[in-house]
Amino acid sequence: MDPASLIPSPDTIPAPWWFFEALLLLTFFVHLLFMNAMLGTAMIALVREMRGQPNDPPPCRDIANTLPYTIAFAVNFGVAPLLFLQVLYGHFIYTSSILMGVYWLSIIGLLILAYYSAYLYKMATDLPPITRKRALGTSLVLLLTIAFLFVNNITLMQTPHIWPVYFNRPDGTFLNLADPTLLSRYLHFVVASVATGGLFLAILASFRQKKGDPGAAKQLRAGMQWFTYATVVQIGTGIPFLFSMPKEVHQLFVGGALPHTTFFLVSLITAFFCLYYGNKEKVWPATFAMAATIFLMVLVRDLARQAYLAKYFHPSDLEVIPQWSPLFLFLVILVIGVAVVVYMLRLAARVPEEVR
Amino acid sequence: MNYPVWQLDFSGGGLLIALIAILHVYISHFAIGGGLFLVLTEMKGYREGSQPILDYTRKHTKFFLLLTLVLGAITGVGIWFTIALIAPAATSILIHNFVFGWAIEWVFFLVEIVSILIYYQTFGRMERRSHLILGWLYFIFAWLSLFAINGIIGVMLTPGEWLNTGNFWDGIFNPTFWPALFFRTFLCLMLAGLYGFLTSTAIKEQELRHTMVRYCAAWLLAPFLLFLASAWWYAQSLPEGPKNWVLNLDPTLAPYLSFFMWGSPILFLGGLLMVIRLPQTAKRALAVFLLLLGIAYMGSFEYIREGSRRPFTIYGHIYANSILVKDLDAVSQKGVLASAKWVSKEITDENRLVVGRQIYNIFCGSCHSIGGPIRDIKKLSAKYTSVYVMEGEISGQGKLIGCMPPFPGTLAERNALATFLVEGLHGKKQPAAAPKLVAPPLAPLPFDPEASEYVLLAWNSLGMHSMTDADSYFSFLPPGNDLHAQLIKRGPTPEVVTDGVVLTYQVEPGYEKPADKVEFWKYLPSLYGTSKPDNIGLSDNTIAGTMSPNPESRAFVADKVPVVPYPAAGGYMPYPSFTIEARDKTTNALLASTRMIGPVSTEMGCKTCHGGGWSKEVAGISKGATEDFLTVHDRFNKTSLLAAAKAGKPLLCQSCHPDPALNAPGNPKLLNLSASIHGWHANFLTGRGAEACALCHPNNPQGNTLFLRGVHNDIGLDCTNCHGTLEDHALSLLLAEKKAGKTGADRLMKHLKPRMASSLDDIKPRTPWLNEPDCLTCHVNFSPPETVNAFNVWTKDGKELYRNRHDDSGSIHCAACHGSPHAIYPTTNPYEKERDNFGPRQYQGNPYPLGANRNCKVCHTMDMDMEMHHPNSLGMMRNTRE
Repeated sequence: MDPASLIPSPDTIPAPWWFFEALLLLTFFVHLLFMNAMLGTAMIALVREMRGQPNDPPPCRDIANTLPYTIAFAVNFGVAPLLFLQVLYGHFIYTSSILMGVYWLSIIGLLILAYYSAYLYKMATDLPPITRKRALGTSLVLLLTIAFLFVNNITLMQTPHIWPVYFNRPDGTFLNLADPTLLSRYLHFVVASVATGGLFLAILASFRQKKGDPGAAKQLRAGMQWFTYATVVQIGTGIPFLFSMPKEVHQLFVGGALPHTTFFLVSLITAFFCLYYGNKEKVWPATFAMAATIFLMVLVRDLARQAYLAKYFHPSDLEVIPQWSPLFLFLVILVIGVAVVVYMLRLAARVPEEVR
Repeated sequence: MNYPVWQLDFSGGGLLIALIAILHVYISHFAIGGGLFLVLTEMKGYREGSQPILDYTRKHTKFFLLLTLVLGAITGVGIWFTIALIAPAATSILIHNFVFGWAIEWVFFLVEIVSILIYYQTFGRMERRSHLILGWLYFIFAWLSLFAINGIIGVMLTPGEWLNTGNFWDGIFNPTFWPALFFRTFLCLMLAGLYGFLTSTAIKEQELRHTMVRYCAAWLLAPFLLFLASAWWYAQSLPEGPKNWVLNLDPTLAPYLSFFMWGSPILFLGGLLMVIRLPQTAKRALAVFLLLLGIAYMGSFEYIREGSRRPFTIYGHIYANSILVKDLDAVSQKGVLASAKWVSKEITDENRLVVGRQIYNIFCGSCHSIGGPIRDIKKLSAKYTSVYVMEGEISGQGKLIGCMPPFPGTLAERNALATFLVEGLHGKKQPAAAPKLVAPPLAPLPFDPEASEYVLLAWNSLGMHSMTDADSYFSFLPPGNDLHAQLIKRGPTPEVVTDGVVLTYQVEPGYEKPADKVEFWKYLPSLYGTSKPDNIGLSDNTIAGTMSPNPESRAFVADKVPVVPYPAAGGYMPYPSFTIEARDKTTNALLASTRMIGPVSTEMGCKTCHGGGWSKEVAGISKGATEDFLTVHDRFNKTSLLAAAKAGKPLLCQSCHPDPALNAPGNPKLLNLSASIHGWHANFLTGRGAEACALCHPNNPQGNTLFLRGVHNDIGLDCTNCHGTLEDHALSLLLAEKKAGKTGADRLMKHLKPRMASSLDDIKPRTPWLNEPDCLTCHVNFSPPETVNAFNVWTKDGKELYRNRHDDSGSIHCAACHGSPHAIYPTTNPYEKERDNFGPRQYQGNPYPLGANRNCKVCHTMDMDMEMHHPNSLGMMRNTRE
């Protein structure tokens, strides 16, 4: 069966494709920052909880306090790229979601449980360590499961040749386990989270350090170590990930095509800066290097998807029937929204730290 | 069509979306009203200088945060996930057309999250004014998110001008945007009170608890009238289609509407109860009860809203089965398999069930579950006894069953779907081979061609009298065959005798007590407004008695003789015989005797589509079938026939529907019974031949009656040759009703297309039982026919009917010599070949019409050379038997 015959016909879009592409990349980038911080800090916290002695005070109040919030923003900033992904690739992502419908929908239940477990962990200061560990462990396992399901869907949406499996499995119980990139892709994202989580902790510590918290320096160092080591491992997982992609895709990044190769090389350079500044424990330069790396990786990832789907589709194929006024309204509201957020954060920042 | 279908069985039919959506809307509306509640309650605390109130507000904020930010927010994403899985095509339309609406809503969410987190985190620590600003910002952006989503949700029900322009703003500010916005805003405020009960009743300090519970009650009660007013405004703003579902109290929505109606005063009273002082445990319990009632209340509203946009997902744009309205004709022409992407491309004997399931997934799965709680297709399809009738049900979709989209597939695809439903789901196999029908031979009575002085000819008026035997539920055909006889005194100039003789009839043994077999007499008062002793028919005839002379027609008649097809010994036999005797009135001497059949059938195939099986093994209208079709009648016509029957007051159909057959005037505004019953079913049984007639009338090849048994049947003609196909037949009846100004005709005619006439204009309207096919349409001038299509030429009135007509001499009934309608000599009775041919066999030793093959001697006692009965009457029999 020709998989191309299965690809649904897309709907028209109300603005040029590149506009949605830009929004997709930008919001996905922010989503990755929050998602990585969420997953990474949860993993680091669990390691610390496991290392802690039964009578120790809760070792990770900083993480416990922020975990539900990073979940909230990871989800909120996950909604936006998923929306723009549907605008550009809806006919692919809807299809792949249906093929794994049972698992895909289960994400909602898993996320609710993970979220409440995170709140339990945050509020469980008076509870015995084992309860804390269980709450955090539950949350983490569920979040890792969700990540695994996302990786399944994202690989499945860009491999229509797998889709005919539907005719034997129409009940939504298919997982794209045979995809050669699946495991390395998953590891690449999870390890990236550890790195970002470490850096996130270092950033929190640097704020406290500024305010004179004597324990902050130690935590900053620990966070930067997590960041640096995980980044080393990350390079190790990235290489097999790249080469597990089909030849016609991965070759584009190793000389096959100029923009692909350029972005990839630059991202390697920024990754090097991550290591460099990580090792030097320079939080903000490392943060910029990491943000640049993640953003470049988002671009590389998007180019890879386009390469995967090249023989079937490119977003520029979508018919545009422009409607400018809602677009402008969105931009205006986005500016207002961001301004209000900044205003509120400033209000919050004025609340004395010690009172918190 | 475009997307694969997530094949769900138990959880299909929208269960997932119902569960997630109701939970979500119940929390998300609270997330808006509750936001205002927080900031106003905080202000109240400041205003009254009450730290306890502020403490309560803070605790309530935590509850609010945990509920709305986790369960509320994630179930919102859940709705999005679910609709993309269940209805990807419609979701894609909403996403692509309103992406900036969604994006704007996302910005509002972002501000909501940031504001509520800071509000919670800084409660009691931030400077008051700033903290209140945060609270207000939260509420404003939460309400704005309602503003945005309200527009997009509204498009699905009332797309308005968007259907024509595709313009974003036409869609957002659709015809119900404002009433829905007000409706939902008031609901948000009320929910703030309802949820507030939950936390305020937990306050330990009594006075504060009382104050805060009262305060929450004010939130519930104050907007209530405005809420109801906006609900009314909302309903009134609906366009015709959705409004019909709601305001006409459609039975599928009625339970939810009544729940909404009853829920309102109960919620209000509950709110009032919370105002008075009650023990804390009682208030806690009441708070939980009201919260649960609230979710059911809201759920019923959402169900009504969703239900009123049937059969569409986006009203007028895309059907619930994901076919775009604009594509329907193209799909109908190409077929489903050619149009859909995720299906097999051909149907073979081997894959029919698989393809049937695929077609089910596309067309049915979005609304029906298999074995699940929502619109379980297994239950709904259980009553259909064969693939053939299931196909009929599928054909009827989108016509009279307006809540379902039309089925656009080919006949083969319809068959595959029906096969899946009947054989795949229920394991029902195609009907078994025809039963073997036997009856002991019954010899004709003796006749001496030389010595006998009289010829006694007998027939019945219809050839088969159908009767409804579910009298405890309804009736439209009472037991009662009409027996006719003519006595002819033989001689060169025979004479039809009507004076000085007495004709009697007597049913064969075993049929004397019909009252033992049917409940007709028990329900006579309710059905016919009269009462009769058992076994006495509506014309006071019983199954043996004297026939009445009718000098005008020169025949004797016993009408409505209440014979039933159930012999005392048991079983079903639709051809009981009668003995007719003619005696001298003075001397009582037997002048002549003959036999005839008084055919009667209860093989009325309601059960074929309405389930319930037969009531008497092979015939009889069962309780199950009756209850089903009365339910259908009640549902579509807003009657209460089933309830009346269950209360012991069954009704005669003709008490409402006029019917010349029973001389019943009925309600003259309503369609006559024949027009309505044929018109209704023709919408389902389109494109069929005579087998469609036999689904209801007792002529099913697998049945036990096979009433069409005359020569026409033997030469291969069927119902349609005279009556037209079901569509033509129904249209001819409905046209007459339409011309009579009856408004109900249009509904039934809308989807019917003539098949044996080139257009509707060519169909001749007719009144049932009076304007019927005319034998002379084919037998022009009594000649051998050159055509076998008698449809659309009707007898002018009852006098012209074959059964009432005489020969050219005006003395002999056509049926006296040729047999009863539908059983024209020579007849082949399915039980015993010659059982209908008593007269011809008795008088001339063959089964042919009286006097056939120039056998004029039967009456004239000599050969004749004059065609005095009708032209060609001296012709030779064409359809002879071996």
